[in-house]
Amino acid sequence: MQSRIQASRPFRHHGGTGAMIAVALVNLALSIATLSIWRFWGRTKVRRLLWSGVTAWDDPVEYTGTGGELFKGFLVALVVIYLPLLGLYTWAQALVVSGDPLGTILLSVLYPLTVFLIAAGAYRARRYQLSRTLWRGIRGGQTGSAWGYALRSMAVWLLLPLTLGWVWPWGEMWLARYRLDNTCFGDRRFCCDAGVAGLYGRFAVAWLCIMAYVGLVSLLFVQTFLDSMQTGELDEAAAPMIPVMLLGAVIVMTLPWAWYRAGFYRAMAGGTTFEGARFSAQVTTWTLIRLSIGNGLISLFSLGVLRPWVALRIFRFACGVLAVDGVPDFAGIRQGWDKGPKTGEGMVSVLDGVGEF
Amino acid sequence: MLSDDRSGRFNDGKSAASRKVRLWSLADGVEIRGEDGFLIAVWKTADLVDDGELPGGKGLRMRCKAEPDARLTVEAAVFVRPVAKRGTFHWRIPAAMALGVAVLVGLYLALPNLARQIALVVPLETERGWGNQIAAGFERQMRACRTPEGNEALTRLVERLAAGLPPERRAVNLRVLDNAAVNAIALPGAEIIVFRGLLDQAGDPDELAGVLAHELTHVGERHPAANLIRGIGVGVLATMITGDASGMVASGAATVMAAAYTRDDEAAADRGALRLLKQAGIGSAGFATFFRRLEVLEGGKGLLPAWLSTHPETASRAAAIDAAADPRKLPPSLRDAEWRAVKSICGKAV
Repeated sequence: MQSRIQASRPFRHHGGTGAMIAVALVNLALSIATLSIWRFWGRTKVRRLLWSGVTAWDDPVEYTGTGGELFKGFLVALVVIYLPLLGLYTWAQALVVSGDPLGTILLSVLYPLTVFLIAAGAYRARRYQLSRTLWRGIRGGQTGSAWGYALRSMAVWLLLPLTLGWVWPWGEMWLARYRLDNTCFGDRRFCCDAGVAGLYGRFAVAWLCIMAYVGLVSLLFVQTFLDSMQTGELDEAAAPMIPVMLLGAVIVMTLPWAWYRAGFYRAMAGGTTFEGARFSAQVTTWTLIRLSIGNGLISLFSLGVLRPWVALRIFRFACGVLAVDGVPDFAGIRQGWDKGPKTGEGMVSVLDGVGEF
Repeated sequence: MLSDDRSGRFNDGKSAASRKVRLWSLADGVEIRGEDGFLIAVWKTADLVDDGELPGGKGLRMRCKAEPDARLTVEAAVFVRPVAKRGTFHWRIPAAMALGVAVLVGLYLALPNLARQIALVVPLETERGWGNQIAAGFERQMRACRTPEGNEALTRLVERLAAGLPPERRAVNLRVLDNAAVNAIALPGAEIIVFRGLLDQAGDPDELAGVLAHELTHVGERHPAANLIRGIGVGVLATMITGDASGMVASGAATVMAAAYTRDDEAAADRGALRLLKQAGIGSAGFATFFRRLEVLEGGKGLLPAWLSTHPETASRAAAIDAAADPRKLPPSLRDAEWRAVKSICGKAV
């Protein structure tokens, strides 16, 4: 496919690690000084740096969101979503305490409702971010319905245990297609027809490895437990087993899973087109493992403070692997009429405090 | 301003096309012409915004306030006269932030009083509902102890002490639960729970009377309802500050703050207990003795320092009670037979 027209790599990331770490540390200091209210402006600073480091066809990407928009979005979600939800949870808890069966029913409605709202909030957050992303002065955007997306996510999550996980590759791609099909640049949409035909082989290997490992470990634990019941004391030899088992987990589970993920990203990018140009991503298992382990270690040892660095690594990785077959007809792309939401990301920032960088 | 005739790239903000352009300096701005010499735009110097260097350092980026979506990239150029810098310092951000911090600190300081005021307007029936729910929850986990003689004796003691409370608060419901904890708690809506462990440890009826007077003061001053409201308030505030709605930060903060806030309530309840005991004609020596007993049980020192634990240090509380003690010699608050009935209310022989 790449040989038909020459595939190019138009994306490049120029951001330096040092500058990003400096921003992360300043944000930490200011967040402490302001009882964390700074976090909305801090997040915006990080995004400015992330976005503006990217060039596509030699022109830079811009992020035009502001901290004030995020702050207002947070306040609105606090009043409209969080406080009513908190009231309902408190009421349900009080009912459960008094032994009223209505409490349990109410909670069993509230938990999925919260997951639903987080999914919808994540979709709306994406709309905000895309509407604040400019290239050559033209805005990105997102169509589609946040509720529709949240319903689809819920369906996938519901089917996951029913199918023992086998719905995952299809479900994940289904959601990715919905996101990409609704992603716009100017007045034009991206188009994603990625399928999962080639993915189930990789998924089966990963699934079997994980199941076999979990089964083996639980068997070992039961055995050790039974032994200790007989002798009345814990077997001393069991302690050194723990690091061995952790290492085993990395090798037996991470490798096949990364193999599957690499396949997923390639399929997703390969199925995506924009104005006659087809994307591709040269993601390999090994580079993906290196990226994830590095990111995991950075987040862990900095207690999350250096997550902007993690984001930078992901941006660099994406710019490095994405290639485009053909050049879209940029002259035909006009500015979209939708300027995006006035405030940003309230629902996710209030319901899922961890969030992105 | 640009030094001279330069080449660059222009995006008009209407389409994503990129045009190669030539730039000509004017006295009060810059003229943007196509390669064919056709005039595209004139940007006034006053409207120019410096968008910084192109990543990779291969040119300068510029915008024009009059055409906010249009972009201009000038290759290999230098600014000879400064144009407006983007991102000038705004006082509004730190001002908004200071205001936000002030609001949060104010809410935090006002919270105990606010909770107390809200507790005062909660209808008694609602409060009783809360108390019943919590008490019912306890009763499902622990056996409720009841004997006709024991309950009669306890009711009489409670009624005698409660006579010093506001009239609408006097109808107090007392339950004894079979649990080893040496504790008694007041719930919203005039509910008091006494654990069997406290009855086991109490050496004479006056010790029990002291503890009951303490809990009755909580009831009279509506502390339990205020605590409940304050706990929710702390959780909401913690969420507003940290943005973590998972409840982890909120419940942690509620626990720590509850400890800090309730110490005032406990001291107030100790003072109120002395007043109730005096009005009921019961000596306060037993109350002090009970705290000394607790101190021995705790092993001389509380596990937590005073500022963290919900109750002030037991030794200092006993000393405070002694200082305010009634010197008169008074009869015991329960007769021997009544006291035996109370001690064996959970079916254990004394």
